[in-house]
Amino acid sequence: MWLPFVGLIIGIILGLLTEIRIPEEYSNYLSIAVLAAFDTLFGGIRANLQNIYDEKVFVSGFFFNIILAASLAFLGVHLGVDLYLAAVFAFGVRLFQNIAVIRRILLTKWSTRKEKLEKS
Amino acid sequence: MNVSFTLIAVLVGFMIAIQFQTVKKPIERDTRDVWQLREALLKEKELQSNLLSEIRSNEEKLSAYESKRKQSKEQALRDTLQELKIEAGLTEIAGPGITLQIEPVIEDIKLGAPVTKVVSPELLKRLLNELNMFEAKYVAIDGQRIINTTVIRDINQETKIDGHTIKSLPVEVRVGVDDISSAEKLSNRMKVSKAIEEFFIENLRLSVSAPNPNITVPAYDNPMRIRYLEPIKEGGDS
Repeated sequence: MWLPFVGLIIGIILGLLTEIRIPEEYSNYLSIAVLAAFDTLFGGIRANLQNIYDEKVFVSGFFFNIILAASLAFLGVHLGVDLYLAAVFAFGVRLFQNIAVIRRILLTKWSTRKEKLEKS
Repeated sequence: MNVSFTLIAVLVGFMIAIQFQTVKKPIERDTRDVWQLREALLKEKELQSNLLSEIRSNEEKLSAYESKRKQSKEQALRDTLQELKIEAGLTEIAGPGITLQIEPVIEDIKLGAPVTKVVSPELLKRLLNELNMFEAKYVAIDGQRIINTTVIRDINQETKIDGHTIKSLPVEVRVGVDDISSAEKLSNRMKVSKAIEEFFIENLRLSVSAPNPNITVPAYDNPMRIRYLEPIKEGGDS
């Protein structure tokens, strides 16, 4: 269970150590990709807690969402419409929903454990 | 499950770190006191004075080169080029000359009748021939410089001089000559020339001004196209 968090920390450390910087004009794309990645990650955690986790869905969703978000932002830049806001909105809403679901699941787990403790 | 999840977590972490580094801008607080600031200022001033002296030496060098250049052959070439440009009509000319005004004859305008608006190209050509005969050097009609390759023609009932349309009357013709005495001669000759009568036949009046010591004739501003003209080859390939 703790392996993903270790992975996250390893990734952050790796990124900080390599000192890669992305040109200013592309940071938009990266930010939206990060948002998509976050969304997929939390979606994965939620699915895991609900026991409906599917590896194929998760991995494909991760890459597909990132590519879709980046291409949407790209299209928006070329059309002169801030289409990336659509992606930000969609991913933001889903992120909050996923986090809310995770919170509820964890709360119910915690309370059931407490009840069990009280009974025994 | 955990392997792919972990790999993707690593990827996400990596992306976050890169984004963080891209967005992050180093903020450094300035904690120097007055004396340190003064020292820094002194350093910058020294740098400034160094730069100024460098600029001065460069300017001196530049003026030295300039004076050298003036005495060189290049200057002679430049002078020749300038002369040729003047001759070809690529430069603005300011000097003595006269102005001719072409306008409709006001007395002849009848109520309801259309006013003559067009100067025919034939008339202009004759006028130019006459001016050239009387040693006019630089001529501009309606602000369009006349050069050796200039064409004056009628395109769809519009008189065009090298693509410039004469749209309305009066039209000003500026004629430049070399000195004031020839300007006077030109003015007198034009006053008695047949051109005035020829214009009058077409309901136009040509008025000739007195010689003016200061007239500007604009430069020819279109690109010059030279077709059917090639330099002579001298003694084979040279």
